[in-house]
Amino acid sequence: MANMRRASAFAAAAATSALLLAACSNSTAETPATSGGNGGDTPEPVTITWWHNSVAGDNGENPLGDLWQSVADEYMAANPHVTIEIEAIQNEDLQRTRIPTALQSGDAPDLFQQWGGGELAAQVEAGYLMDLSDVLSADIARLGGGVAPWQHQGKTYGLPFQFGVEGIWYRKSLFEQAGITEEPSTMDELNAAVQKLKDAGIVPIAVGAGDKWPAAHWWYNFALRSCSKDVMQAAGTTFDFSDPCWIDAGEQLEAFLATEPFQPNFTSTAAQQGATSSAGMLATGAAAMELMGHWNIFVLEGFAADDAAKAELKADLGWFPMPATNGGAGDPTAALGGGDGFSCYVDAPKECADFLAYIVSDEVQKRFAVEVGGLPVAPGAASSVTNENLQELAAVAGAAGYVQLWLDTTFGPNVGGAMNDGIVAIFAGTGNAKGVVDLMVAAAATE
Amino acid sequence: MITMATVDTVATGETRTSTKLRKPVQLDAGTWLSIVVAVVAVALTLGPILYLILGGFKTQQQLTADPVGLPSPWVLQNYGDIVSQPVFWKQLLNSTFVAVATTAGVVLFGTMAAYPLARYRFRGRDAIFVVFTTGLMFPLTVAILPLYLLIRDFGLVGNLWGLVIPQIAFGLALTIIIMRPFLQSIPKELEEAAFVDGITRVGFFWRILLPLARPGMVTVGVLAFIGSWNAYLLPLLLLTGKADGMTLPLGVTQFQGQYASATTSIMAYTSLSMIPALVFFLLLERRIVDGLTGAVKG
Amino acid sequence: MTTMETSGKKGGPVGGDTSSAGPRLSGPEQIQHHKSDTVRKWGEVGLFVGPALVLFLTFVVFPVASAARYSLYKWNGIKQFSEAEFIGFENYARALWGGNDPATKDAFLTAYTEPFWQALSHNFAIIALSMAIQLPLALIVALTLNRQFPGRSLVRVIIFAPYVLSEVIAGVMWLIIFDPNGFATAVVQKIGLSMPSGGWFEDQTWGFWTVFFIVTWKYLGLAIILFLAGLAGVPQELQEAASIDGASWWQVQWRINVPLIGPTIRVWAFLSIIGSIQLFDMVWVLNRGGTTGQYATIASFMMQVGYFRKDVGFGSAVAVIMFLISLGIALAYMAFVLRRDNAAAGEKGR
Repeated sequence: MANMRRASAFAAAAATSALLLAACSNSTAETPATSGGNGGDTPEPVTITWWHNSVAGDNGENPLGDLWQSVADEYMAANPHVTIEIEAIQNEDLQRTRIPTALQSGDAPDLFQQWGGGELAAQVEAGYLMDLSDVLSADIARLGGGVAPWQHQGKTYGLPFQFGVEGIWYRKSLFEQAGITEEPSTMDELNAAVQKLKDAGIVPIAVGAGDKWPAAHWWYNFALRSCSKDVMQAAGTTFDFSDPCWIDAGEQLEAFLATEPFQPNFTSTAAQQGATSSAGMLATGAAAMELMGHWNIFVLEGFAADDAAKAELKADLGWFPMPATNGGAGDPTAALGGGDGFSCYVDAPKECADFLAYIVSDEVQKRFAVEVGGLPVAPGAASSVTNENLQELAAVAGAAGYVQLWLDTTFGPNVGGAMNDGIVAIFAGTGNAKGVVDLMVAAAATE
Repeated sequence: MITMATVDTVATGETRTSTKLRKPVQLDAGTWLSIVVAVVAVALTLGPILYLILGGFKTQQQLTADPVGLPSPWVLQNYGDIVSQPVFWKQLLNSTFVAVATTAGVVLFGTMAAYPLARYRFRGRDAIFVVFTTGLMFPLTVAILPLYLLIRDFGLVGNLWGLVIPQIAFGLALTIIIMRPFLQSIPKELEEAAFVDGITRVGFFWRILLPLARPGMVTVGVLAFIGSWNAYLLPLLLLTGKADGMTLPLGVTQFQGQYASATTSIMAYTSLSMIPALVFFLLLERRIVDGLTGAVKG
Repeated sequence: MTTMETSGKKGGPVGGDTSSAGPRLSGPEQIQHHKSDTVRKWGEVGLFVGPALVLFLTFVVFPVASAARYSLYKWNGIKQFSEAEFIGFENYARALWGGNDPATKDAFLTAYTEPFWQALSHNFAIIALSMAIQLPLALIVALTLNRQFPGRSLVRVIIFAPYVLSEVIAGVMWLIIFDPNGFATAVVQKIGLSMPSGGWFEDQTWGFWTVFFIVTWKYLGLAIILFLAGLAGVPQELQEAASIDGASWWQVQWRINVPLIGPTIRVWAFLSIIGSIQLFDMVWVLNRGGTTGQYATIASFMMQVGYFRKDVGFGSAVAVIMFLISLGIALAYMAFVLRRDNAAAGEKGR
C-alpha cells in the first residue's frame, strides 16, 4: 500500500508537474490569436493584468468596477491583440498586502492602483514603475496640476483618475433630529454638535479605526492646522519632525478623543466593508458624521438597496470642510486631499501606457463623473459633475491656500505606516502624541 | 506551531505495547463520565467547523439577522459559485502539486542521504550527520527573510517550484534523523547476503532497503505532506500574482481579504478548503497518530 | 526542533546505535581492490548524500547564515546589499533597549523596543499558559477518556482533527465566529454577558485571551491524543493492582498513570514550547497581531518590520534572537528536564 502510494505519488508528481510547469511559468497565459485582418504587420498579442480596488458594495452593485470593465472591453475591441485581465481587490488588502508583496517579489501586475506621493516615490526608487513622461506627455499636459502627486523628480510615473479634498460627510436628517441648524465651522462648534447628537441618542461620528488610515486622517487634519506650510511640505522630503507642531497635532487629537465623539469599539470597525463599517454606519443612519474623502459619495451608495433608497440617501447627505482649530501655524484655508490613479509596472508592455491614457481620457472621465458619480481630475470633465456636495468640495479645493496630499501617502509606506500605527495607538489608548513622532522618526532613520 | 520539523518519530508500526484485554464495556459511573467528557470535547471540536459549514448555506442577510440559527432556507449559491469557478480548483491543484512534490522530494532525498549515514563508514560521516541535525534548530520562520531574497534571486518567485524546493530542503533534517535509525536497524546479514548474491550497494538500497524502510518513509511522508499542505508564510511571499496561482490556505486568506463583508461566501470557501485536509486525515489517521505517538512515547 | 538525542539513543525497532560498515571482504581481496573500492564508495556517498546536502546547504544553512549577516546592517532588501550600511549590533540594541544613538533612542524605544518586548511577552505568556492550562486540561481529558466506552475511536479521531487543519484556515473560521456581530457575541448575549468592550480581538486585555483560546482549540487535541497513547502503554495490571489495594480512581491516575507517562508529557511540553516561540500563521491571519499588537508574537513582529516595513537588517536581528531563544530553551530543556528520561531509556537498554 505504501509502495503503491509512493509510486502513484511519483506518477502524480510527474503528471501534475508537467501540467503545471506549463501553466505556472510566469503571468501571460492564453493570448487571443486574432490577427488584425488588415494585412501588414499584426502586433504581438499581449496580456495586461490590471489590479484595481473597486469591489461590489453591500447591495451587490459596483458602478466603478463596471465602468472599468467596459473601459477594458472597449479597449480590447479597439485593439484586438490586447487582452486585459482584471482582478478587483478590496482596498485594504490591495494596498497593504497584494501590491507590496507583488512588487517585492517581481511577479507583479502590469497596471495597478497608485495613490502617489511618497508611496510612489518609494516604488520609483526601487525601480518598479514605468516612466510615462514622454510616452504620455500629451495626457500629462491635459490633466494639468492634478498630476503633481504622481510625479517624482520631474518625471511622471502614474496618472490619476480622481482627486478631491476631504471633509465631513453628514446626514442632514440626523442633524435636524439633534437640533443642529448650522454646519460646524470651528472645532468648538463641532464639539457642541457632537454633544447635541449624543444627547439625542445618536452616534456622532463614525470612524473605521480598524483599517487604521480613517482614524489617522483626524490627526492629519490637526497637523495641517498646526504646522506651517513650510514645515509641512519640507517634512515630505526631509522627514524632519522636530517641529513641536507634530506633537501638538497629537495633543489636539487626544483632546478631541476625550470628548468621546466616536462609535463604540471603533478599533474593530472597518472603513468600507459591510454595514457595520464606518461608511456603512453613515449610509444606514447609524451615525451622523464621517470624515472621509470625496469617493464616499459612491461608496455610500453601495449600501443603498435600490434607486429610491439611493436618491433618498443622496438628498440627505451634506458635506462641510474640516472645521478650523484654535490657532496653530497652519494655513486655515489649507485642505487635505488625495486621489487614485494607476501606474504601469516597469516591465509592462507598452500597451499598458496606451490603455492608461484611455482610462484618463476626457470622455472616460466624463463617464466617471456621470455613471459613477465621482470627482474626475481632467479639467475637461469638470462640468459633468452635478452633485452639489461634490461641487462644494471642488470649490473648497479650488479656494484652498494649498492642498496637502494625505500624509501617509506623502511620507511613503514606511514612515506613513509607522505614523498610522502611532495614531491608532492614541485611539486605542495605548499611545500618546509623542509616540507618533517617535515612530515616524524611527521609521525615517531606517529608510 | 508544531510543524513537521518538530516531531520526531520512530515508527513502532503495528506494535502496541498495551496489554489491555478486550473487556466488555462496563456502564459504570466512570464510563458515563467518559462519555460526558467525550461529548463535550467532540462538541467543542466539531462545533465551530459545523457552524462554518452550515453558515455557507445562508445568505448574508440571514447571517446578519440571526448569526446563531440554522439556515432557513438553505441556499446553495455560495457553495455553488465557488465550485463552479476555476479559482478554487486551481488552488486545490496547486496545493496538491506542491505537497506531492515536496513529499516525494523529502522522502526520496532524505532517505537517500540517510543511507550512507546509517550504513557506510567514511570520514566525515558524523560531521555531515551533525550538519543535518543542526537543521532542526533552524525553522523556516527564522530563515524566511534571507530565504525569500534567495528564492527571488533565483527567479523562482511566482513559480510553485520556488515553494517546493525550499520546503524539501527544510524537511530533510527531520527525515534524515528519523530514517537513519530505521536504516541502521536493518540487519547486516541481509546486506551481506545481498552482496554475496552480487547486488551492488545502490541496488541494495533500491530493491531491499527501501521496501523495508517503508513504515518510516510513510510516517515522514505524511508529516511532510501535512506540513506542506498547511504552509502559509512562504506562499504568502512567493505566490503574489493572480489568485489562481496560489495554494489553498493562501487562497482562503486572499478570498477573505477580498470579500470581507461577504461572510457567508467566505464560510463556504473556508469549509471547502478544509475538506481535503480532513479527508486526508481520515484516511491516514492511524498512520499519523501512530507516527507521532511512537516518537513521543519513546 | 526535537529530541534528536533521545531518538538517537532510542533507535529503531532493533534499537541501539549500530554503526555499520560495509561487507567485510577477506584480506587479499580487500587490499587489492582498495583504491577503486574507495573511489566507488565515495562516489556512492556523493550520489546518495549529495542532493540532500546541496539543497540543505543552499536553502537552509546559507539563509540562516545570511540572516546573521544581514542583522549587522541597515538594509531594505531592495537596493543592492553592497550599498547597505554596516551598523554592527545596533539592530539588536534597538530591539533590546532602543539603540545606542541618543538622538534616536526615544524613537526606537517606541518603535522597536516596546513592541519587541511586548511580542516576546506574548510568546512567553503562551508558553506559561500552555503549561498552566492546556497541560492539566489535556491530562484530565485524557485520563477521563482512557477507558472503553462506546464510540471511543471515533471520538479520538474527531479530537485530533483540528491539528491537521491549516492554521490560517482555522484562523479565518474563528475570525468569522468572533466577528463583533457574529456567533460568539450573539451567544454570550443570550446568556446575559456581553462582548469585551473593545471587541473580541481588539480589546486590549481580552484580545490575547481570544487568540490563546483559538490556539488551544487547535492544539489541545494533539496533547490529548499523545497522552492517551502514553496511557495506553501503562500496563493494566499496575492499575488493577493499585485499585485492588484500595486506591481510589483518582489516586490511581495521579500516583501511577501520570508519572508513568511523564516522558510523554515532557516531550509534548518541549514541542509545545518550541512551537509557541515560532507562532506566526495564526497570529498573522488574525489581523496581523492586532491593531496595536495586542497579541503580536516575535515572528509576526519580525515579519511586520522586516518585510512590510522593509527593515531587513532589523528583521534579521529579531530572527536571530528568536533562534537563540529557541536554542537556549532547547538545550536547557534537554539538559535538565529530559536528562532523566534519556538516562532511563539508556539504562533500559532500549
